[in-house]
This record gives sequence, structure tokens and C-alpha cells, in this order.
Amino acid sequence: MTAIKDRILSADELTRFGAEIEALRERTVATLGERDARYIRNVAKAVRYSEAFGRVLLMVGAFLPMPWLLGAWGVGTLALALAKILDNMELGHNVIHGQYDWMGDPHLNGAKFEWDIAGTSANWRKTHNYRHHTYTNIHGLDEDMGYGVLRIFPEQKWHPAALFQPFYAIIFALLFQWGVAIQDLRLGRLFKGRKRVAELMATLIPVGRKMRRQLIKDYVVFPLLAGPGWLTVFTGNLVANGLRNLWTYTVIFCGHFTTDVVTYPKSVLKTETRPQWYVRQIRGSSNLSGGFLLNVLTGNLSHQIEHHLFPDVPANRYVDMAPVVRDICKRYGIHYNTGSMAKQFGQVIWRIVRHAFPSRPAVSRRLAGASAG
Amino acid sequence: MGRLALPFIDPAVFDFWARHLNATWSWSQTLARVVERRVEAQGFVTLVLKPNRRWQGFRPGQHVNVGAEIDGRRITRSYSLSDAPRADGCIAITVKQVEDGKLSTHLCQHARVGDVLSLGDAFGDMTLPAQPTGRWVFLAAGSGITPFLSMTRALAEQGMPVDLTLVVWARNRAELCAADELRALSQRHPRFQFKAVLTREAALQPGESQGRISAETLAALLGPLADLGQTEVRACGPGGFVATARTLLAPQAHGFQAEAFTPWTATPTEPNDAPAHTVQVTLRRSGRTLTLDNQQALLPALEAQGLSLPSGCRMGICRTCVCTKHEGTAQDMHTGELDTETESALRLCVSRARTDITLDL
Repeated sequence: MTAIKDRILSADELTRFGAEIEALRERTVATLGERDARYIRNVAKAVRYSEAFGRVLLMVGAFLPMPWLLGAWGVGTLALALAKILDNMELGHNVIHGQYDWMGDPHLNGAKFEWDIAGTSANWRKTHNYRHHTYTNIHGLDEDMGYGVLRIFPEQKWHPAALFQPFYAIIFALLFQWGVAIQDLRLGRLFKGRKRVAELMATLIPVGRKMRRQLIKDYVVFPLLAGPGWLTVFTGNLVANGLRNLWTYTVIFCGHFTTDVVTYPKSVLKTETRPQWYVRQIRGSSNLSGGFLLNVLTGNLSHQIEHHLFPDVPANRYVDMAPVVRDICKRYGIHYNTGSMAKQFGQVIWRIVRHAFPSRPAVSRRLAGASAG
Repeated sequence: MGRLALPFIDPAVFDFWARHLNATWSWSQTLARVVERRVEAQGFVTLVLKPNRRWQGFRPGQHVNVGAEIDGRRITRSYSLSDAPRADGCIAITVKQVEDGKLSTHLCQHARVGDVLSLGDAFGDMTLPAQPTGRWVFLAAGSGITPFLSMTRALAEQGMPVDLTLVVWARNRAELCAADELRALSQRHPRFQFKAVLTREAALQPGESQGRISAETLAALLGPLADLGQTEVRACGPGGFVATARTLLAPQAHGFQAEAFTPWTATPTEPNDAPAHTVQVTLRRSGRTLTLDNQQALLPALEAQGLSLPSGCRMGICRTCVCTKHEGTAQDMHTGELDTETESALRLCVSRARTDITLDL
């Protein structure tokens, strides 16, 4: 497992480190304005135009002769997938974090925004904005660590069913939006008898309504609009949703499940200070190196570290903040985990395969987890 | 129709495409287009606005929150509607440019015909009764004239059913709004008198007088104050002006109602390290006012008062507790930064109130 040892910072060093991180945040927030507003509106524009383009092309394509039909289907499906990816990641995820609340635009308000995905934004605010971002990489509190489905870390309890996880990890990837949609229902607790059925039903209603809306939109309304060409639209929508699922799964798994990320026991919370919280965010996250296109398509989760340090700073600023964060980390001896998507996702796949089998945390790893917190 | 279509319509998507056809079409927002701009007086600009169909109308004397986007941020301030309700549905605001005022500067200097502004619903209860009768006195100082422009115009349209005296304080003649129109109205309607009081004008003309508001100036303008027993008095202006009017006239008049405005300032009146004291926290939706101290974070302070509020990390990360601050100054306890902006999103868990504050709770 990881061979990386972070320097143990003295109390004084930690304070100075925290102050540098916060100074960067303040410097950035002070300059928010027109340019950031224009950026996020352009993203929203790209979502709407590519969705319209994709849906129209799928509908028109259904009535074209054969080779043209396939071409229109392919391009239309890709455009729709692109719209959904941008909507979910660069627009939805970032807006729901409240990154653009300062604009005062009711359509870009984090508490109200709703997105084109099966899960409700209300549940996302709870499972993601609150639990995942507050308790990042803490066993038993951050439910994103394997989503209750996969065994990614040796600290998670092994079960014979885990042997099949390399297979059902693929199913999970294809159906990722549905997994996220039901995450807050915590079905596992129901099966373990720790949650009552009535309690489940109360949370199920809004989730069910959103799922139904998404299903009706993509698999009933738009196919019906195409009349006899319904099958082209239906399959195009199905594949577009699937592509979005695969892509978001890949990006999100790269963010916290690479080889060198550190996980923590619940006990860190007893004494954790704000600077130590920053350290946990950095050591629990990993970046993807790439350019503008990768940043936009990943919703700037290519800057997972910066996102976890500053979840409410507009994501279009992470690219400028990253070199500063990296420099701070270097000076304080904190590992800054970044790499190409191929490298990072390769490490994720290895984790999924390796921890399908019984495994135990390495001694150095346990120590790192205990001391870094 | 809206309610039937709602399950199938995403307001954000609808608004996005509707905007391509008409800049003020919106499913969920009240928007208005500037259709006319005129300089009303020195430092005053009147904007005539054509609202979209979400606009519910107003009564003369009411105000409305007006928002415009400045450097990426929607800045909102409230302005009195200065015209009487019009047949064409247009409304007007008369804006006085305030030094360092973000929105007033924008509206006076940069707003042009065709621009789109956001509107709230009209509010305020300094309005006229359905059948006004008797004697009325309107006292206005500075931009306090705007609600009275609307009420006077509305009364004139009704044929002036009351004896009305409008007294306007301004620094000089150039800063008098709609003076020609008001003078013309007073000639057309014998029951309406218009009086201008100029505090810094060198030479006075007929119908004008001098002096700040006082028992003497009021007696000179209105006659003996003891004779106001049947008179309805309305006043609007800066806090000091309104307080004086209230002290002098409220005991004498049959009815007295006033609205004071404190010009919005970029620099808060409260020093950063102000000692502990109490502040009034108004919860607009539940109609409650609580007295809290200015040191503790709002979230635990409100919870201690028995409120059950959504919250998550309680460290300023997750924004579960974010709530709209309508007005007042709040301080970020982490950075010390002061937030004086109206209609801003406030994280209750890491903010404390530095002045009286109004929240959307």
C-alpha cells in the first residue's frame, strides 16, 4: 500500500499552514465578479444548447435512411450525454455547493437548484455537501467510501460477496445515477433492522417522484414525440444516460480511491482542528492532471483537492488556486496526490480487485491515518 | 395552467429558452424592462418600467425591491413607486443617486432603455384609503418625495377628493422632483397646495420658503399645529426628519404615519470589534423578533430560542443552514469579514449579527 509518509507538523506549523490556505481562499473570493458569472452562464448555455441539439438530432435522425440514421444517432447521443455530464458536474454539482450563491441569481441558487439526474438535489445536499464534505474519508461516517456497495479499503469489513465486486462494480458504474439516488435511503440499515419501514417511506416519496420524472422524460415523453421513430430516441437516451453514469463514476472514484489517499478512523474527530481538517481534505483526495477540456468535463473535480479545501469557491477558480495549494503542500511536506486519469483510474481498479479479497491495513498506513488527523 | 404544467416544466429551462424570445419572459421571476429614462431633477432619475405578467400591481405609497446585476452580483434595494397606477401597466421608480450607492449609481448612470431589472412584490402600508376624505398633509424630505408623487398623482386622477398640502424639503431648486408638474396640478386643483422648502437656495421665489423642519417652520407652512386635529399627516424622509415630524405632529394630528429611510452605506456603523450588546433579529416569514447577543453565531443563538433549523457541518462548509439575509450587517466569524449587502445568502453557523438584522426564517 502507500509508502508515503507525511511530515508530522508541529502545532505552530499547522497554524501557519491553515492560515496560508485561508488566505488563498480570501484572496480568491475577494475577486469574484463578472468573469465568474459569465463562466457559469456559459456552462448553462452549453448544457441547454447541447441538450437541444442532441434531442433534435435523435428525433430527426430516426427518419433518415440507414447510414445517416446511425450517424445522427451517434452524434445525437453523444451531444445528449455531454449535456447531462455538464449539467450534473460543472453546473449542478458546483451550483448545489452554493459556489455561485453570491450572484443572487435564483436559477443558480445552491439551495434550490435541481438537476437532470435521478437523485434529488435535496438528498445530495445531505449525503454529499454535508456528510461527504465534512467527514471526508472517515470510516463509518463518509458513505461515499464504496457507497455501501464496494470494498475499497482494507479497513472495511470483508465479506465473501466482495469476491464478486469486480463484476458488480461494473453494474454499479452503469447504473451509477440510481445508486446515488437511493444513497440517502440507507437501505442497508433497513435490512439490518436499524430503520423502520415508515421512516423509509417518508424519505422514499420525493426520491420516487424525481426518479419517475426522469424516467418519464427520457423514456416516455421524448420517444413518444418521435412517433414511429421512438426506438431511436429511446435507445439514444438510454445510452446517453449510461455514458454519463460511466463518466461520473470514473471521475468520482478517481477523487478519493487512488492508492495514496489516506483514510481515517472516527476518533480523529475528537481533537481535529481546522488546519487538521484541511490536511485530511488534501490527503483524502486526489487530482487529475489535464487541461481545460478535462477540467470542464469533470466539473473541475480534476481539482478534487482544491474542491475539498474550498467546496463553496466557484470551481472555475480551482485551476488558478491549484499551483498555490501545491506549493503550500510542498513547503509543509504534505503529499499532493495528482496524476493522469489513466494512472489514477488504474489505481482505483486495482483497489476494487485487490480488496475483493481479504486484506489488512499496512502498519504504516494505520499510523499515517492516526497521526495525520 | 401554470399549476397543471408545473410537474413537466423546469422553470430554469423554461426561462432559458423564453429569454431568447423576450428578455422579460420568465416562469418564476418578476422582471421588467426599462422603457423610458428621464432626469427628474439634479441627482434624480426616473425609470419607467414595463413589468412581465408576474407583476401583481401596487397601491400608491408602496415600494418594491428592484434588482440589477452589477459585476456579476444581483444588487437589490427598495424604491418607492413614483407614478400612479397606469392603464398601460407600466410602473416608475425615481432614484436618487447616493454616494457609493451601488444600485442607485447603476440605475442613475448606467441603466438604459431596454435593460432588464428584477422586481419583488410591492409592499408597504403607508397607502391611501379607498375613499380618502378630509384634510391631508404630506411632508417629504429629499428622496422621501417619491411615495407622495404616486399618491398625489393618484389623488389628482380622482379629481382631488381631499384638501392636500404637499411640503417638500430639498437643498435647492434644482433638486426638486417634478416641481413643474406639481405646480401645474396645484393650479388645476384648488384643493391641492404644493410648497417647497429649500435649505440652501440663495434667492427664494414665490411659493418657496426656507428652514429645516421645526415647530416654527411647520406652523408657517400649515397654520397653527393645534388646528391639525382633523388632519391626516404622512411623512417620509431620513430618520432624523421623520423623528422630528413625529414628535411635533403625531400628538396633534388625527392620524400620523411615516416612513424613514436610512441611506444604505458601504461602511457599517458598527466597528469591527464592537463590545457585546444585544441586537434585534427579525424573522420575516414567521413574523417574530428576537433579542440576541452580537457575539454568538446565529445558528446556536436561534436554536437556543427554540427554533429548529436545518444544519449540517456547523463549520461553514456544507451550506445546509444558509438563509437569506434581507437587511442588516452580519460578520463571518471565521474571516471577520462584514456583510452589509441586502438579500445575501448567509451561513448561520459561522455568522453573527453586528446590527439589527432581518432573516428569511
